[in-house]
Amino acid sequence: MESKKEIKQPLLEISNLFASTENLTILKGVNIKINSGEIHAIMGRNGCGKSTLSKIIAGHPSYEITNGKIELCGTDIEPLEPEERAQSGIFLGFQYPIEIPGVSNLEFLRVATNARRKFLKKSELDTFEFEDLVKEKLDIVKMDSAFLSRSINQGFSGGEKKRNEILQMALLEPKIAILDETDSGLDIDALRIVASGIKKIANENSGIILITHYQRLLDEIKPDFVHVMADGKIIKTGDNTLALELEKNGYDWTDEFINKN
Amino acid sequence: MNIIERITKSDKNYSNTTSNLQKISLDKLRTNPIPSSKNEIWKQTNKSKFSRFLNFKFSNDFYYPHIPGHYQINNICRIIIGENKRIKIKQKNWEIKELEEKEILNFLKQKIIQSDTTQNWSNLLNHFLTDRKNILGLNITGKEIPYLEIICNSVNDFFSSKTLIINIEEGTSVGISQINIGDKNSALSISSYLNIGEDSVVNHGIISFGKNKSHIINSLNVSQYKNSEYNLGSLQFEYDFGRLEININQVEGNAKTNIKGMQITNNNEQISTYANIEFNGPNGFLDQLNKSLANDKSHSVFEGLIIVPQIAQKTDASQLSRNLLLSNYAKIDTKPQLEIVADDVRCMHGATISQLNEDEVFYMRSRGLTLEEASKLQLRSYYQEVISFLPISKERWDLLTLLLKNK
Repeated sequence: MESKKEIKQPLLEISNLFASTENLTILKGVNIKINSGEIHAIMGRNGCGKSTLSKIIAGHPSYEITNGKIELCGTDIEPLEPEERAQSGIFLGFQYPIEIPGVSNLEFLRVATNARRKFLKKSELDTFEFEDLVKEKLDIVKMDSAFLSRSINQGFSGGEKKRNEILQMALLEPKIAILDETDSGLDIDALRIVASGIKKIANENSGIILITHYQRLLDEIKPDFVHVMADGKIIKTGDNTLALELEKNGYDWTDEFINKN
Repeated sequence: MNIIERITKSDKNYSNTTSNLQKISLDKLRTNPIPSSKNEIWKQTNKSKFSRFLNFKFSNDFYYPHIPGHYQINNICRIIIGENKRIKIKQKNWEIKELEEKEILNFLKQKIIQSDTTQNWSNLLNHFLTDRKNILGLNITGKEIPYLEIICNSVNDFFSSKTLIINIEEGTSVGISQINIGDKNSALSISSYLNIGEDSVVNHGIISFGKNKSHIINSLNVSQYKNSEYNLGSLQFEYDFGRLEININQVEGNAKTNIKGMQITNNNEQISTYANIEFNGPNGFLDQLNKSLANDKSHSVFEGLIIVPQIAQKTDASQLSRNLLLSNYAKIDTKPQLEIVADDVRCMHGATISQLNEDEVFYMRSRGLTLEEASKLQLRSYYQEVISFLPISKERWDLLTLLLKNK
């Protein structure tokens, strides 16, 4: 992340985003802009809309955008299917990675990597080429190659699931990675491995959104911007010191802010 | 003359060519020409499809089937029922030979006499229709036996009927693939009998695949003796009307049975599996899993019954039915049942019906897999458990790859 002084390119721009599910409005005018090389943190209470925002960016079919737009490198992504968004460079690291019994992790990773490579007009990797690539990436998250032969996330511990998410991020090389509570359920050692992995993957051409409740992830990865979300919108933006302030004072002030406004 | 006319109308010419076995079967069938829809094991049967099954003209003629995958393969002994080849292969450690004429006749006669006109209707129909050249009787003994591939096929526009009897001698270990090939617009009746001797291990696969408007009823009848192990993997698909009847009798208990079955239905097909497992001695073991995938407007049926009489103490039996509905218009009926008299047993049964897991699909799509790729991977994982259980030699994996390519 040393070349931040170079000209930053807008990667993800969310303007006045309203979204709902089952007639319930959850996002009520979110605005956020992420440039290349930037790391943003979104913090807030449970139920404030953080995870919903991440799912809407990734194209979850249960949510509907009722107003506003999301642009990736200047292109409106609303018409895109979830897989088209992923292929275009959006990556969502799940808070609760899904277990899929019977589907080999290795095969899944290879199909996913090739889908992204196809979009990038790179040659698709055969099984042997992919194994070389994935072994190299396994080092980033200190995972054993035995994980590859297992079913996706099946029988993985909480920490292993999160490391598997970061492994996927490393393979897919996204433009924008949204990591939804990647720190939840991790012990301190696992947190350090995951944080170190994220830092190794981060580069000047991509952006990262960290969704978290706690300061501890942000001790490991220093964000350029911290946003506080409440009642479906971003109510305050600041630098890393804002996260420290939240750690100290909690979120009660956000209720007062919402009531006042 | 269609099948019902053959059963109900007397025909002198026909009677002249009928064997004794066929006559006894016909006499029994005439008391109950068509199974009653009130009977539990026929209740779910689609009447119009069953009528079509019985409406084909019968033919004994042999037509060489198109066998998918590699044609010539080493280490596989392939037999096509009706081809009428003499079979006697003897090697150092094993032997496969045809049963004597008398053995076949006595065995079938006894089975016909014992048959109930409702519970064993399919076998009675089969024995009434099958002529001698479409009955294959084998005796197998030994170990390190090459895979046995037995083909049963139907013929376009006709009803065909085949009977298979395999006697597996004590201490034998063998893998048998029974491949049922349904030609387009055809019907096939198969009755298979396996007598598994003491201390034997049999890995049996039944792969039934049809074409446009194929119909099949396959009745499988297995008798297991002490310390034997019977592993059955079955796969049924692309039949407009398909019915697999599994009757397993652990004659003396103390035997092990593992079954994994799968049926895939599309369009408005109906495929059913009826399993009847009976323990007639102590310490019997059963692990059965039946899976179905129902798409479009199709109908999938599973009915299972585990019978544990007083003598069958210490039985350990499990029967599970797992079903996946792929369309809002498809229908699945499943009913695993227990009938337990013995008091010291461990028996469980259960059934689930679900749809493709949306969270799993979204997870895969969020990694760039299309909906189709995600669904395929998910479905593959669903049936992998059954497919990997099919006892098929590695040289014949091409067959399954071909068959499941578009599933």
